[in-house]
Amino acid sequence: MIANAWVVWLILLLPLGAFLVVGLIGRRFREGGGYLVVGAMAGSLVLSLYVFVQVLLQGALGGSFTETVTGYVWLPSIGGAEIRISILIDNLSSLMLVLVSFLCLLIFVYSLAYMHEDEGKARYYAEVSLFATGMLGTVSADNFLQLLIFWEIMGLCSYLLIGFWYHKPEAAAAAKKAFLVTRVGDVLFLVAVLIIWIEFGDLRFDVIAKGVGLLSPHLLTLIPLLLFGGAVGKSAQFPLHAWLPDAMEGPTTVSALIHAATMVKAGVYLTARSFIFLVPLAPGVEPPFTAILVIAGIGGFTALFAATMAVVNTDIKRVLAFSTISQLAYMFLGLGAGAYVMATQASRGEEVNSAGYSAALYHLFNHAFFKALLFLSAGSVIHAVNTNDMREMGGLSKAMPTTSKVMLFGSLALAGIVPFSGFFSKGEILSVTFDAGADHPGFYLLFAFGIVTAFLTAFYAFRLWFMTFHGEYRGHEHPHESPRVMTTPLMILAGFALVSGLLAYPMQGFGNLVFFGRPEAGFPLVGIPWSHYLLEGTALGVAVLGIALAWSIYATKRIPAERFTATRGGAFLHRMLARRYWIDDVYDAFGRNVVVGLARGLDWFDRNVIDGIVNAVGRGGMRVAVQSDVFDRRVIDGAVNAVSLETIRTSWRLRQRQTGQVQSYAWVIVVGLVVLFFLMFGQRLVERFLGGP
Amino acid sequence: MIPLQYELLLSAALFCIGLYGILARRNGIIVLMSIEILLNASILNFVAFSSYSGNPSGQVFALLGIAVAAAEAAVGLAVFLSIYQTHGTIELDKVRFLKW
Repeated sequence: MIANAWVVWLILLLPLGAFLVVGLIGRRFREGGGYLVVGAMAGSLVLSLYVFVQVLLQGALGGSFTETVTGYVWLPSIGGAEIRISILIDNLSSLMLVLVSFLCLLIFVYSLAYMHEDEGKARYYAEVSLFATGMLGTVSADNFLQLLIFWEIMGLCSYLLIGFWYHKPEAAAAAKKAFLVTRVGDVLFLVAVLIIWIEFGDLRFDVIAKGVGLLSPHLLTLIPLLLFGGAVGKSAQFPLHAWLPDAMEGPTTVSALIHAATMVKAGVYLTARSFIFLVPLAPGVEPPFTAILVIAGIGGFTALFAATMAVVNTDIKRVLAFSTISQLAYMFLGLGAGAYVMATQASRGEEVNSAGYSAALYHLFNHAFFKALLFLSAGSVIHAVNTNDMREMGGLSKAMPTTSKVMLFGSLALAGIVPFSGFFSKGEILSVTFDAGADHPGFYLLFAFGIVTAFLTAFYAFRLWFMTFHGEYRGHEHPHESPRVMTTPLMILAGFALVSGLLAYPMQGFGNLVFFGRPEAGFPLVGIPWSHYLLEGTALGVAVLGIALAWSIYATKRIPAERFTATRGGAFLHRMLARRYWIDDVYDAFGRNVVVGLARGLDWFDRNVIDGIVNAVGRGGMRVAVQSDVFDRRVIDGAVNAVSLETIRTSWRLRQRQTGQVQSYAWVIVVGLVVLFFLMFGQRLVERFLGGP
Repeated sequence: MIPLQYELLLSAALFCIGLYGILARRNGIIVLMSIEILLNASILNFVAFSSYSGNPSGQVFALLGIAVAAAEAAVGLAVFLSIYQTHGTIELDKVRFLKW
């Protein structure tokens, strides 16, 4: 039992309240309401920690803790269970709450300086606060519908913040692109939610986990694939990766928060939650191996695919964006490989080992820190030199000593050099992938992809660092170190980049923090087979090689970079990578030709067919109206006119009798009297004088 | 005593003369005079029947009739005077403005 369980609502309501206040009257506050947003986020962090510590003390160490804080009924029963807005507190969600609120807080503090000179900062703070609500809600939802709702709130905020500088056409286009591309995944996610509702009549994770055995094998494969489709959109995996590099048009803080540390992780989180389908713990259910292979395959492929594009890019933020895609793909690879191992063990009736699951979430945790650090450092650099182009940087370590050091920490963590955090989680993912190879040989290929990616990752991370901080300054600005309020969050994050990998030791293994299935034994690097040391040593070795290559090309220039593009093949490769394998061009062409063509066709149909029908109906109506007008004028009006005309004519004739001659009137009187007399007395007279009967 | 028939015949003759004057003559004054003759014819009838039946109320009615005739003559003459002043004639076939 969590004491004071109601406080978990405040975790969501504080940033939501800050959003409302800042959104409505933010301009009246100092810093556009930035302090208010920071304060609300600090409150959320304190409450998240309070919940997290309780979860830890009450069973998370060496077991699981699950509690649902039941909320109000949002939809009463409609052919199934009622839908409540509730908060799920378990090992994973309480950890995510702390992670998200901590990163949000640091980045909001950083924003106080970074966004200081921006006109629209009230809008900025309102939107990031709403985003924080969305992310916290996503990781604490206890059912798929609630998760989808908060997921879409994040999508909206992502759109708004990418297009924050909407007067720049590229930013507006990038926002539109991000919204449309992620929408493809969101629709798949929605379909998955609908199928789950139809099948289970309930959307709560725990209820579904119990009933998974009743699903037909096809649906058991289809549902996690559709959910993964949503994750592919949100986490920018191939083939829906195209939006993330363009999303760098937004402010760097937004890139750090939404497009590196939190929102893009929601896809990984969703896939982790969909383990209830991937690894059904009910006995006798055949796990959906096909779906697992798709997840792992897309993860392994995207990791390599995105890393290659990062190698040639010269925009400091886009390199990091490609790196984010690649690292997220590592997580999917870890989830896929882990699920395959677990599913195999479960179908054989053995003890399951959730090493892959916890390795992927371990990487999520570490990556959130070091990628936020890298982005914020890049923001600090951009702040100083007013450009994103690394060709106009160089030698900045003299002007910006703090930034260069913290970025070195981030790069080492990204490259996976011991003892920085990336080493532990990346090594574990690769080990699990290798282990899964024993169950399905395809994983050996994915392992090879992962090793090559590790090499490329180290290479582009240090290419970035050397191009930015080493050598001579090539730009025309006067770079200077960023203010304290920006460097302090950087130093905190640098500390985490160093130690977040080691945090698993006091927790007796990271698996305890994200618990799934049965407890995962042990500490990282302790009590594992010797082969894993070899695997992690390999990963470390290729990373060192990558750094060495970057050093010799970009620092000492012993190997000239031109040599790689000198041959025709090399030049073609460079052009292909710089054009991002032409995939963006294909999507653009698809959008321009197919979608716009379809729209044109529909427009034609609308104008000619639909409008034609409408116009024909209108014209027919008009014709009927004209006929009825004629009838009205001729027949109805004719009758009325004829009656009145005849009245006039009769009265005119009668008028002729009114001569005005007194004597003619007198004649009439006399004649009338005589007639009257004969009428009254005529009969008697006749009888008297002619003799009656 | 004059027989009633003679008196009635005289009255009828007077009535016919008056009626002829009203219907046939053009001059407004003569028409007025003809109306007086008509009234006198009826008054003569009242008187005749009064003396015939010995009932005096007929004679009272005759006096009332004479008063009415006097008033009528006064009003009629005033009307014709007014018509003459505005239209310059009292020829009844020319006085045609009492119509639509």
